[in-house]
Amino acid sequence: MLHIVDDEEVVRDALSWLAASRGIAARSYAGARAFLDAIAAGFDPEGDCVLLDVRMPDLNGVAVFDQLVARELTQRLPVIFLTGHGDVPMAVDTLKRGAFDFFEKPFNDNALMDRVEEGLAGSRRAGETAQVHARLATLSAREREVLDLILAGNMNKVVADKLGISMRTVEVHRAHIFDKMQVKTAVELAGLLK
Amino acid sequence: MNSPLPFDRRAGAAATSPLRWLLPMVLVLLFLAILIWLPWQSREMENNERQEQLIADTLWVEQTIRFQLERNEENLRTVGLDIAGGHLEGARRHARLQSLLKNGRELQRVLLLDAAGAVLDASDDTPPASAAPSPVLSAPSQAAADIARTGKHGRYSQPQPQQPGHPSGDGRAGIDLMDYHLPLFHGGRYVGSLVATYQLDTLLEDMVPWWFAQENQITLIDRDDNTLARRSSAGPGRGVYTHKRPLDLPGASVTLFTDSVKGEPRLLPNLLVGSVVALSLGLVWSLLALWRHISRRLEAEGALRQQMSFRTAMENSLVTGLRARDLEGRVTYVNPAFCQIVGYPPEEMIGKLPPMPYWAPEAMADYQLRFAGVLAGNIVPQFETIFQRADGVRVPVLIFEAPLVDNEGRQTGWMGSILDISERKRFEELNRQQQEKLETSARLATMGEIASMLAHELNQPLAAISSYTTGALNLIKRATGPVDAATLQPALEQASAQAQRAGRIIRSVHEFVKEREPQRQDIAVSTMVDSIRDLIDLQARKFSVAVLTDIPPNLPAVRADRMMIEQVLLNLSRNAIEAMQEVPVARRAMRLVASHDALQDQIRIAVIDQGHGIAADVAGRLFSPFFSTKAEGMGMGLNICRTAIEFHGGALRHDANPGGGTIFTFTLPAALKTPHPIS
Repeated sequence: MLHIVDDEEVVRDALSWLAASRGIAARSYAGARAFLDAIAAGFDPEGDCVLLDVRMPDLNGVAVFDQLVARELTQRLPVIFLTGHGDVPMAVDTLKRGAFDFFEKPFNDNALMDRVEEGLAGSRRAGETAQVHARLATLSAREREVLDLILAGNMNKVVADKLGISMRTVEVHRAHIFDKMQVKTAVELAGLLK
Repeated sequence: MNSPLPFDRRAGAAATSPLRWLLPMVLVLLFLAILIWLPWQSREMENNERQEQLIADTLWVEQTIRFQLERNEENLRTVGLDIAGGHLEGARRHARLQSLLKNGRELQRVLLLDAAGAVLDASDDTPPASAAPSPVLSAPSQAAADIARTGKHGRYSQPQPQQPGHPSGDGRAGIDLMDYHLPLFHGGRYVGSLVATYQLDTLLEDMVPWWFAQENQITLIDRDDNTLARRSSAGPGRGVYTHKRPLDLPGASVTLFTDSVKGEPRLLPNLLVGSVVALSLGLVWSLLALWRHISRRLEAEGALRQQMSFRTAMENSLVTGLRARDLEGRVTYVNPAFCQIVGYPPEEMIGKLPPMPYWAPEAMADYQLRFAGVLAGNIVPQFETIFQRADGVRVPVLIFEAPLVDNEGRQTGWMGSILDISERKRFEELNRQQQEKLETSARLATMGEIASMLAHELNQPLAAISSYTTGALNLIKRATGPVDAATLQPALEQASAQAQRAGRIIRSVHEFVKEREPQRQDIAVSTMVDSIRDLIDLQARKFSVAVLTDIPPNLPAVRADRMMIEQVLLNLSRNAIEAMQEVPVARRAMRLVASHDALQDQIRIAVIDQGHGIAADVAGRLFSPFFSTKAEGMGMGLNICRTAIEFHGGALRHDANPGGGTIFTFTLPAALKTPHPIS
């Protein structure tokens, strides 16, 4: 989902139309407040991207970005600034603080959409990584040891020998790991954790 | 320049004034010295004259006395010869002796003594008896008699006061008598002697003429200066003019001493001296008076000279031309500044009657008209006209005329001061150009301030157009079959609309910054508001301000320069919008209200905000150049607005909005014709 934040209705409409032409779903916000309200109401940033206009009458884009930083959303929610003339130094500063990109108006629309797609993909990836980390966090210490040995390519018997436990116990751990990591095979598990 | 300066020539004389004073002073002193010397000299001369007169007179008296005595001697000698010859005897002899006395009263008595010294006969009326003893002769007389007998010559005795009871005396005591002894010889034998006794005071009285006695005291003195006889009928002598003359009598030492009763000639009573002194005093007084007068005059001249040089310096330093004319309009005076203004030397103007050389041909009728007024005695005290310089250049001048009045209060002409106002005119023109340039730059500065915002604003439509068209292209590229036109249409319509919007913004900016001369035209207020509406809206949107206009449809057009009024409107709008930054959004409304003031035939336009208002301390300086309450403001906005409005003959004022905020109101003259809005 692409979030378009701009006080100009024409720009919002045009960007929505452009996104739609690339098959990207979009949602428009008439100003910074509206967008921040939506965030405060709680939404899943996974797979999302934000197009943020710098100059807005109620609250400028940088202030909105500061709030996102404060909420630690910038890792999973790529922010692309749309700047007017003369705003470039400010935009560069936001890049250093974690913004995804900035485009100076007037911009190459398809190049912007390419970056939006990258942002969306990145966001999705970031979401998945986060899920894997969450699942790993549910494993017990012995299960982590078993997981590491499995990922190293050891058979159950070797794992049992190395850990000094029975084959049966290894198989129970392995089933728990697969269950917790929501995978069916060791290959799938390795793909998830590579 | 042409002013006569008679004192200049004499300025050098002041330095030699000691020398100039010396000669008259010397002459006056000399004159006084002579005046003093002359009376003294005349007195001296008179003195000498008197002395000499006295000497001459004394000499004359002495001669007279001597002559008388000698005549007596001669008579005695004649008688003596007769007696000695024995020709005279008895009564005849006595008669002869008596006749001797008749010659002069000074002879008191004549005695005839015989050789033994007895009296033979006497001139006295009663001849003494023959038995008379020898007369008692005084000792000096006896001595004289002896010497005379011995010397055989007549001889005088030393005068001797008369003895009381002396036979020869008349009984008066103290009268000095002098005897003359004439020895008589016959055939060499002494036969006796004649003794004539002189009474000295009678001698004086008879011998000295009255006129001489009137003026002198005459005294006979002996060798010891004892007075023998004195005649002082006019009183005692003063002892000033005296003379001694010995009578030179053989045997007697008698000196005639005269002493004038006149004193020294006195100086002052002398009329001559008196008048001379009076005249001298008068002369000295008049000289002093003259000197005082002259020094006062010199002082006045000095002051006048100083005044003149002061005045000349003043005239020369003036940049204002001065020109005096008499009642006939003849130029009588011009100062250097005037000559400089018109470029003619003074001699070409002084004494000239109009037309003057500096009259410009094109304004001749104007001059003549005004000159006729001057001759009629009524002038315009202040007017502007044009002079033609000698080189043909026209000079705009401002002339002030005032009556020229002499010291008796009579008007003798006109004094005009002429100001060359070409500098001022040029300065005004320069100022006007400067003001226009300033307006232009202020306009450009205003543009600069909104330029970045314009860039942003232009970016919006451009970005929108770009996005719509890119999106449309994306659809066309991705479509496998023909693209549905209905899908593309809204996007392309939007793109077109945005392109037009961008064009409008650019056009309005272009119109605004275009530089040109002010042009007044009849223009409707609504037309002007509409043409800048986009620019106003740009700002209003930025600050979320609602813009409301209230312009009656039948409002007359104004006569104004469109660009200037639009700029004023834009400025005031921008101020109004910015004034509401701090107020709640709900109150952010700006109103543009136009109305017609039929009474004064003016259009009144008000820009009303509901912002922070104007503080009292700011209000006073609101229209001052370079005063601004904004950090980035140039402080030219309101100043230029007011200049622009006043250029149109209107006024710009501000009032507090009763509902909060400020109302800026300006007026413009309504167009004369019926309104026909230009659009």
